[in-house]
Amino acid sequence: MDNFNHLIAGFGDVLTPLNLLIALTGVIVGTAVGVLPGIGPAMTVALLLPITYGLPPTTALILFAGIFYGGMYGGSTTSILLNTPGESSSVVTAIEGNKMAKAGRAAQALATAAIGSFIAGTIGTMLIVLVMPQIVKFAVTLGAPEYFAIILVAFVGVSAVLGASRVRGLASLLIGLSIGVVGIDFVTGQQRMTFGVPQLADGIDVVVVAVGLFAVGEGLWVAAHLRRKAGEVIPVGQPWMGRDDWKRSWKPWLRGTALGFPFGAIPAGGAEIPTFLSYMTERKLSKHPEEFGKGAIEGVAGPEAANNASAAGVLVPMLALGLPTNATAAIMLAALQGYGIEPGPLLLTNQPKLVWALIASLFIGNTLLLVLNLPLAPAWAKLLQVPRPYLYAGILFFAAMGAYAVNGSPFDLYLLLALGALGFVVRRFGLPVLPLIVGVILEPLAEKKGRQALQLSGGDISGLLGGPVAWVAYAIVVAVLVWPLVSKLRGASGDHDDHHDAGTKAEVAA
Amino acid sequence: MSNSPTGPQVVKDRAQYALCAGLALLGGLLLFDASRIGHATTTNDPVGPRAVPVVLGIALVVVAAFYALDVSRGGHGEEEEGEDVDLRHPADWKTLAMLAFVFLLNAVLIQPLGWVISGTILFWGSAFALGNRHHVRGLAIAVALSLATFYAFAIGLGVNLPAGILQGIL
Amino acid sequence: MTVLVGYVPNSFGEAALSAAVAEAGRREESLVVVNMSRDDVLVDAHRAASEQLDRVRRDLAELGLAAEVRRVEEGSDAAEALLAVAAEVDASVLVIGLRHRTPVGKLLLGSNAQRILLEAGCPVLAVKPA
Repeated sequence: MDNFNHLIAGFGDVLTPLNLLIALTGVIVGTAVGVLPGIGPAMTVALLLPITYGLPPTTALILFAGIFYGGMYGGSTTSILLNTPGESSSVVTAIEGNKMAKAGRAAQALATAAIGSFIAGTIGTMLIVLVMPQIVKFAVTLGAPEYFAIILVAFVGVSAVLGASRVRGLASLLIGLSIGVVGIDFVTGQQRMTFGVPQLADGIDVVVVAVGLFAVGEGLWVAAHLRRKAGEVIPVGQPWMGRDDWKRSWKPWLRGTALGFPFGAIPAGGAEIPTFLSYMTERKLSKHPEEFGKGAIEGVAGPEAANNASAAGVLVPMLALGLPTNATAAIMLAALQGYGIEPGPLLLTNQPKLVWALIASLFIGNTLLLVLNLPLAPAWAKLLQVPRPYLYAGILFFAAMGAYAVNGSPFDLYLLLALGALGFVVRRFGLPVLPLIVGVILEPLAEKKGRQALQLSGGDISGLLGGPVAWVAYAIVVAVLVWPLVSKLRGASGDHDDHHDAGTKAEVAA
Repeated sequence: MSNSPTGPQVVKDRAQYALCAGLALLGGLLLFDASRIGHATTTNDPVGPRAVPVVLGIALVVVAAFYALDVSRGGHGEEEEGEDVDLRHPADWKTLAMLAFVFLLNAVLIQPLGWVISGTILFWGSAFALGNRHHVRGLAIAVALSLATFYAFAIGLGVNLPAGILQGIL
Repeated sequence: MTVLVGYVPNSFGEAALSAAVAEAGRREESLVVVNMSRDDVLVDAHRAASEQLDRVRRDLAELGLAAEVRRVEEGSDAAEALLAVAAEVDASVLVIGLRHRTPVGKLLLGSNAQRILLEAGCPVLAVKPA
């Protein structure tokens, strides 16, 4: 297999003592930041991204891969030990994991989460290797109209499916698109929405948006409503599992991986659906169904694997099409573009070395994570004893540091505060955050493809119709938009359902 | 927010109208900015730079209207909850103002005074605003963190953090 | 007049508890056990779990002592909380576990014991584990 040779070459690039040290640094820093409350993997990556800027691309990728997996593991550690509801992809892990911790089985919960994440991450990354060429073959056949239609699917997917309030999802999307418009029009050179401010000419950097919305917004929101709540007890111990735990975990690991990867690859799939599905599946298939709700290890093993597999799956459309399907992917896309990697169908042909180096880094980061974090889990738990003022001051500190480092300009800090205020508003009114960030990321691409499509047809709007792929995509868009009206006419209940709360809660802190 | 049964609902509704107004304003801004741009279509680009802002602007106004409609029917979005968030009391504007002030201070001071100093102020000030009462300890941690990140990231990894007036000393 | 003991779930707290029990017996006074859990941290290592407090209640009941076991969950300062309870129950003696702190440790991390010793309005019995 030609791919295999490329992969080995990638490993060769990556496996130097210096690079391993860098990977270790990434994993440690990523986990430390991921453990902080309210900081999910997307935010960890966004906050720490600027420290990779000064490095050569391969080294930066290694550091980045470590941060990515570290952030994911840190988040699941906190959700097991503390049942933090703000971690969108770890919400399900918290259900059983926290119960296990309370019953004195934190060690087993942490172990099954770590090992399951490792297995899912490894299998997931291998699947990327296998699947990518096929997807790329498909992607190359896509013309501008098809691209445009698929992006529209992503848009309606994030705004109209997640959470029950379509109006709010659309509002969020439109705000994001407006932010994306700011800057110079790539075709005509016209300045749009810059109002004479020179620093806005290059547009608003995605990382600044992410850090402002998530980190600063979260910090401001918590500051306004800081709860003084007595500290919990956390049983601290080295993660390990008994034979029985292993026996009960391995199948959920595999099932979770199988569920997570495909869902991660679909636009607007996200990690919430596969983790929930994994939980339901494990509950149905379990030989100990009565334990669910009280600390069943399958309920941690499956969802954690699904979570990590979905994170790997997300990389497929991201690398092959340049299409990010969730907040983490969006930030990764910005990161890769910063390292000179332009995701898309031509990526493998143009930049094979970097891509394989990235994949090799993912394997290594994943492995280091297991080796490092299993013994260190008690230390991470100690981080949670830091008083809240320091934790949130730390978040703001790293946010400011990162945002400044992007361009070396104080203007970005003002922008950061403004975006933090936007993040505050979003949390205050319960708007979903994912459409916002997807709108910011995809606006340039969507507009480019849309205008290309119309250019090819000489301005005729039928130029947007393209081929069968586009028709299917448009059909999906129409179906998603029209469905609620149809069900309303059939007498089903209206928009304000209760699962809106879970939807918003779960994904605002993505 | 009052605690009467209809109280929170009423207050929330009204505040949401402000958001709708904001959305409509954003839409108007887009339309205004688009009108300012010359009509610049060519054969290569039949749509021109104005198309998307105009579409967005109109869409925003329309969505704002539907949103207001939803609000008038009693719809509301849930304020985000969290481990450290207590929504029973109204927002603590004083803390927010202090945080915003400290943040802006950092933005203003970062280039003249350098990251080590402005970062220290940022961290210590934020911790203070958030309720930290151990001032000496807070200052010590702030200085340590600023120095550590400066050495590790700016000097070690080449991240863009200014030395300011401490240039040459560090 | 009661004997007040500051309890934490470790050897220092247990030592203080034993000493307090002995002291309550000697003075023929009742016992108040206080565990403080800070509200400005997510995880407080000094917080005694409810099961632990129940165990303490049972043990004290077995000894036939008139005792009250409380957990204070507001505030970020254990010394302050303990002193407040001392004033409230009119403690005749305050019993605490003592751990060694270097001068630097005291500066950076503070010493609850030191503040209690200096600010208590009643005698303080500082105990080290055996």
